[in-house]
Amino acid sequence: MADPQTAASDSATPHDSGAGSPRPSRAQAFRETLFELIRLDGVRGGLIVTPDGLVITSELPPRFPVEALAALAATLGRELELGASRLDRGAFRTALFSADDGTVFVGGSPVGYVTLVADRNVNMEAVRTALGRAVDRLRGTWRTAGAA
Amino acid sequence: MGLATFLERTWSGLTGLVKPRSAATMFRLADQYRHEGRYEEAADLIAEGLRVAPNIAVGHLLDAYVHVVFREMPAAKTSFRRVLSLDPYHPRALFGLARIALEEGDIEGCRPFLDRAIQYFPDFPEAKALQEMVATWSAPAAASAATVGAVNTERLRLPQNAHDLILTHADGTLVFAQGSEERQRQLSVHMTQVYRIASATLARAGLGAMRRGVVEGSSEMTFIRSDGGVILGVALPHEIEVGAGLVQVGRLWTDLNIKS
Repeated sequence: MADPQTAASDSATPHDSGAGSPRPSRAQAFRETLFELIRLDGVRGGLIVTPDGLVITSELPPRFPVEALAALAATLGRELELGASRLDRGAFRTALFSADDGTVFVGGSPVGYVTLVADRNVNMEAVRTALGRAVDRLRGTWRTAGAA
Repeated sequence: MGLATFLERTWSGLTGLVKPRSAATMFRLADQYRHEGRYEEAADLIAEGLRVAPNIAVGHLLDAYVHVVFREMPAAKTSFRRVLSLDPYHPRALFGLARIALEEGDIEGCRPFLDRAIQYFPDFPEAKALQEMVATWSAPAAASAATVGAVNTERLRLPQNAHDLILTHADGTLVFAQGSEERQRQLSVHMTQVYRIASATLARAGLGAMRRGVVEGSSEMTFIRSDGGVILGVALPHEIEVGAGLVQVGRLWTDLNIKS
């Protein structure tokens, strides 16, 4: 089904999760990337969201506020991207933010932002390294798309 | 019959067999491509659709989305505004403009878009999440010599190659920063925004208040520590490991004798 938020179906609804839409090969690659990451020890789930806030794929525990988290993750990813550029720190790659009860990881790519929700005692370095590899793969996907 | 006439008749016959796609069909297909990450193809279809039907809001909305994905924010803003000129209460266009205002640092400009979107569409979790986030943000207090003077930077044990050290209040009031005045301003604005948005994200995920952060750029790493009241940040060489960097920023935190 096409995205219900566009007038192609119904311009009046604000919903834009995109969850459940058919996904051919590249979207399959996004899903596989996320699946690999959420299998890491201590990672509870995650999602990939485009800069415009569209959820490409999401694997989060039940009752998790996917839309809200996606909106915040896209906003955070964009701020990290802009800050890296404005401060001449090179392209934004990954970030992690930890709190008393867990950690959020964000990976940046042209396609969008990979966001992971993890436990408090997660191995930060291991997840960050894996996320960096995933981000590199997504960059490759973008280049392939651009060349097509 | 001459060759030219033959070709003309053949071409005419072929084109007569091809039914032109409607704008709605093109937009529907473009939206599908967008969901599949095929942005270039989506952009072509949207442009074609808008040539056929320039006054369909969804065409301009899709156009805005694709511009955002390509990080073409001025063009995205124009397209979102075009949507609103056709449908003044379009929630997604309002939300899109709110997000652009937010990344431009225009918090006061962001709020009305979110308020309007939620006023007409109360069941809009993305807009509500941002609305709740910005509702708690206040403008930074005027910088004073007293707050700057409260930090004893002489005791600092700055790690080798460390730079862009910054200490700021959570509301954006700068306490101390390295570098030129312009650099300090940029650091303060960015650090505060990252802290605020990351805190909202952690809270929404049910994880609590932000304590530590690590941001990796391709050339260096930024380490952040916070207690909710103040934010300390420092940039270190890219090669440093997360654990080591967090130890360094923890040491700076101690040196600065920051109390909650």
